[in-house]
Amino acid sequence: MRLAYYPGCTMKTDAKNFDESTYSAAEALGIELLEPTRWNCCGTVHALAKDNVMNYLAPIRNLIRVEQMNEAELVDDKRVVTQCAMCYNTLKRANADAKADPDKMGKIRDFMEKEPNYQGSVNVVHMLELIKGLGWDEVKSKVVKPLDGLKVFPYYGCLLLRPREYGIDDPDHPTVMEDLFEALGAEVVDNPYKAKCCGAYHAVHLKEVAADLSYRILRQAQEAGADIIVTACPLCQFNLGDRQNEIKKHQREFEGIPVVYYTQLMALAFGKEGTGFEQNIPDPVPVLEEKGLL
Amino acid sequence: MSGYPEYMQGLLKLVEETRPDRVGKALRAMNAEEKEQILRDWHPDYKMDQKRKLKIGSSAGELMPHEVADTLEAHPVIKPGDIDLSNVVYDVDVLVIGAGGAGLSASLTAIEHGVAPDNVLMIQKLRLGDANSKMSQGGIQAADAPDDNPTIHYLDVIGGGHYANKPDLVEAMVKEGPDVIKWHEELGVTYDKLEDGTMQLAPGGGTSRKRMHSCKDYTGLEITRVLVDEFINKEISYVEFTSAVELVMDDKGQVAGAVLWDMDHDDYTVARAKSTILATGGFGRLHIQGFETTNHYGATNDGVVMAYHVGANLRDLDSTQFHPTGAAYPAQIVGQLCTEKLRARGAQPLNNDGVLFVYPLETRDVEASALIRECYGREKGIVTPTGMRGVWLDTPLIDVINGEGTIEREFAAMFRTFNKFGIDIREEPMLVYPTLHYQNGGVEINVQCETNVPGLYAAGEVCGGIHGKNRLMGNSQLDLYVFGRRAGRFSAERAKTATLGDLTLDHLDVYEKMLADAGVVTDRKAPTLLPEYRGKRTLEHQLKML
Amino acid sequence: MGENESEMVTIHVMGKKHEVPADLTIMKAMEYAGHQFRRGAGCRGGYCGACAAMYRVKGSYKLEGALACQKIVEDGMYIAQIPFSPAEKITYDLSELKPDANTFLEYYPEISRCLSCNTCTKACPQDIEVMDYVQASLRGDVEGAARLSFDCIGCGLCAVRCPAEIVPYNVGQLARRLNSRYVIGPTEHVLKRVGEVEAGEFDADIDELKRSDRKTLQKRYESREVKL
Ligand SMILES: Cc1cc2nc3c(=O)[nH]c(=O)nc-3n(C[C@H](O)[C@H](O)[C@H](O)COP(=O)(O)OP(=O)(O)OC[C@H]3O[C@@H](n4cnc5c(N)ncnc54)[C@H](O)[C@@H]3O)c2cc1C
Ligand code: SF4
Ligand code: SF4
Repeated sequence: MRLAYYPGCTMKTDAKNFDESTYSAAEALGIELLEPTRWNCCGTVHALAKDNVMNYLAPIRNLIRVEQMNEAELVDDKRVVTQCAMCYNTLKRANADAKADPDKMGKIRDFMEKEPNYQGSVNVVHMLELIKGLGWDEVKSKVVKPLDGLKVFPYYGCLLLRPREYGIDDPDHPTVMEDLFEALGAEVVDNPYKAKCCGAYHAVHLKEVAADLSYRILRQAQEAGADIIVTACPLCQFNLGDRQNEIKKHQREFEGIPVVYYTQLMALAFGKEGTGFEQNIPDPVPVLEEKGLL
Repeated sequence: MSGYPEYMQGLLKLVEETRPDRVGKALRAMNAEEKEQILRDWHPDYKMDQKRKLKIGSSAGELMPHEVADTLEAHPVIKPGDIDLSNVVYDVDVLVIGAGGAGLSASLTAIEHGVAPDNVLMIQKLRLGDANSKMSQGGIQAADAPDDNPTIHYLDVIGGGHYANKPDLVEAMVKEGPDVIKWHEELGVTYDKLEDGTMQLAPGGGTSRKRMHSCKDYTGLEITRVLVDEFINKEISYVEFTSAVELVMDDKGQVAGAVLWDMDHDDYTVARAKSTILATGGFGRLHIQGFETTNHYGATNDGVVMAYHVGANLRDLDSTQFHPTGAAYPAQIVGQLCTEKLRARGAQPLNNDGVLFVYPLETRDVEASALIRECYGREKGIVTPTGMRGVWLDTPLIDVINGEGTIEREFAAMFRTFNKFGIDIREEPMLVYPTLHYQNGGVEINVQCETNVPGLYAAGEVCGGIHGKNRLMGNSQLDLYVFGRRAGRFSAERAKTATLGDLTLDHLDVYEKMLADAGVVTDRKAPTLLPEYRGKRTLEHQLKML
Repeated sequence: MGENESEMVTIHVMGKKHEVPADLTIMKAMEYAGHQFRRGAGCRGGYCGACAAMYRVKGSYKLEGALACQKIVEDGMYIAQIPFSPAEKITYDLSELKPDANTFLEYYPEISRCLSCNTCTKACPQDIEVMDYVQASLRGDVEGAARLSFDCIGCGLCAVRCPAEIVPYNVGQLARRLNSRYVIGPTEHVLKRVGEVEAGEFDADIDELKRSDRKTLQKRYESREVKL
């Protein structure tokens, strides 16, 4: 299956390991992900103020690229797969808003001139939705190295689940990652914090708030006996993973816990190279070795 | 859709019809006698009525084009009394005049040799980098390939220059070529390379090896903009839109700076300097013999004039380089350069029968002569709607020979320019005729870039001696950086010990006296500074060359 | 045939009306009208970007960018020269930089404000995909940003139009220097030759040529091996 894949800027910079492992996991599942030859930032830095057409240009332009890929028959259907939670959220909402408002769509088309008109045919999906759609049995059938004995703490964050109408799962009781990791053979540690905000929105202005929120989630995971935390969002990854060094300065007793992207563990379970663990902070390799997975 | 008028369509057909047979074919190069003959008969330099002997100064008696002699037999723009020399606005170690490749590399090198960035002052007529240096398309020579070496390069330069070159200068140039390329790459210049990481090298007229390094057909643009970027990084002081109008001397007979003309405010100021580097480039905008030119707007021979006013020696100004292939159509871009690399990559010059009439990679003087002969001797040119004559340059062959996409990739600039005027050079040939390109001679220097006047250095196109009577493509871009860097280095060394006396402009009075003594009566003034195209002259200028 | 009969058109240069021959470029038309350039002219061949201009044609809302030396006048053109684009070029030491997104963001943080509106691309007289190279730099695609921006002549029109106040040409310049220095790197055979020259390997041969008389030189020149 050939599908359009919109990576987004973060996947090419701070989250290269997410990008790399996405390709590895997809390949194992028989999915060929194709990036548009041209793409731009999803536009996320400008929250989608409903009344400002300018802010719709970036996401809609990316959707036009996907329509162009379809026209050129480079891909098999009109879905575009996203991975970064921010990008997913932005593209999904912009798509829905523009389609729902002919007036806005008209203005966007007028402004863009040089581009073909956006026909509104693209369907924005998240990688997790795509995987779920394949069926858990299918996933299971690709596993060559079950994640036996690994206690996994899935963390969703907010952007994948909220607002409700664009979420990939029930915002209060999501299960997609739990199901996935069961299929991969891991032991899932369920937890009440899995959909709590990690504080990413405060990452810049209110460092302490963010650090505090992150710490609560990390502690919760450890207390629940998890070996590893799994995320699906570069911002969560940063707040829970990279930020641990800073947290340790304030919380002396805190020993750290590895945090990885869900696709990294998929790649591992599917026996693929290209897991990208070397980019993770803290280093997940010792834990994975200890469990006999590496 | 053809970009050419209806009446040329039949001629274009002939080009297309003969194309398949011409692939991979080339006429043999001319032998020494044939070359001499065609130069004598057809090269503009050999038209004696277009030149005269200079009446004044150390080069009195030397032949040079009327247009050049006119700027030397002219009154200085300022009079000593006009300028208050006690009001020194800039007081620096090294003054650099002209921000093309030579001036920029001189400045960068001067600070490497110990002069503080705010003790170097760059004076530039236009914007930093807006210069002939930016316009080079074809490339820069340097003997760094395994099957090449500086000795072979030396022989090419000296033979191409008809043995009139100064050997020391040629030696310095060919030996330092590879180091210039190395320096450029360290600064972040992007040269074209092959997949294996080696340089993509092309031949040029008169080269015996593939030695031309290029940056698509934006070679000069790429190098110059990197140098400008670095120049700003280094925080060297500079003033744009200001011209040097005369050199200042001191009472010990040294050059000690320059009088500057602020072109925004029509103001004159004085810059004092222990070393002064002339890097003002060439004289294309003098339109020798009415020829159109490839040169930028500021190429008005100012450096040679200012240097002559202080008594510097000149040489080789009798020889001028006409580039064989300037655009002859459309009228809006007549005279603009169609790079030699087009021929190096396979484009052939054809007459109105679609027949190849000359080996495409003769040295420029010979190639240009052959084009002129085809148009005016053999009457085999193509006449444009404005009455100008030209020959075809069959560019579509480039893609035929090197594969589709080559033109767009390697000749982006050419492709873009002609496209703007409706001609797709992948499909249709260009129409070309020789154009005024380069001043072969100029101010005489030694290997340290010193002129015969203490304190005055020169580098780049303003100099003479390096290329003898004919420059090969790609050697000017090289000489700029070799001698630009040398000028920077040696002027910096001098500035460490030099002491200046009282400033004076007395040499201008001396010059006036020489003019009077020689019986030159004229109201001409020089340096020219800005070319004159106002009013109807815009059109006259286009007509003059017909 | 010939200029004398050429058709005339009306243009407005900075608000002043002129009748000029229809086949002139904006630059030559301005000179025809009596203007002598001090600013706003450079190479006159489309290589330097000094002659940036903007215009609207009567009856059209579109504000177009052009190089005055390359654009032919049209009847009813309103022309303004934009000879200078106000912008700071950040200074840096290339040898200390890393070829990644953070470098761009550190020196030109405003690129993260890019709206992907594509206004820059529409303004570019070189038909460069300006938005795409800004976007490439934003995601650390140094090679892409360098390649896409290669034909930039620094005219400044993109920067004048950008609603996010980005200065694309500065970003492109940084990308190209990073790409050359770090992604492509130096060339082996160039370094090797530099070493050989420094070791004096060619001194004796060149000395001999320098001492030869013209006749000997001519003979050597004419019989030299040509390997192209
Ligand atoms: C279209 C074109 C294509 C070329 N292609 C090639 C090529 O492919 N390979 C090659 O080897 N050579 C090529 N050349 C030749 C080569 O580029 C030039 O000879 C060379 O760039 C000259 O460099 P320069 O630094 O001496 O002068 P320039 O680059 O011309 O710089 C001189 C600067 O000084 C300024 N100036 C002039 N007078 C004054 C004054 N009074 N006060 C202050 N400033 C002043 C000028 O405005 C200009 O900016 C080409 C030339 C042209 C015009
Ligand atoms: S990218 Fe910007 S500065 Fe460069 S040529 Fe295009 S408009 Fe001009
Ligand atoms: S004009 Fe500015 S904001 Fe718009 S696409 Fe270009 S760089 Fe981005």
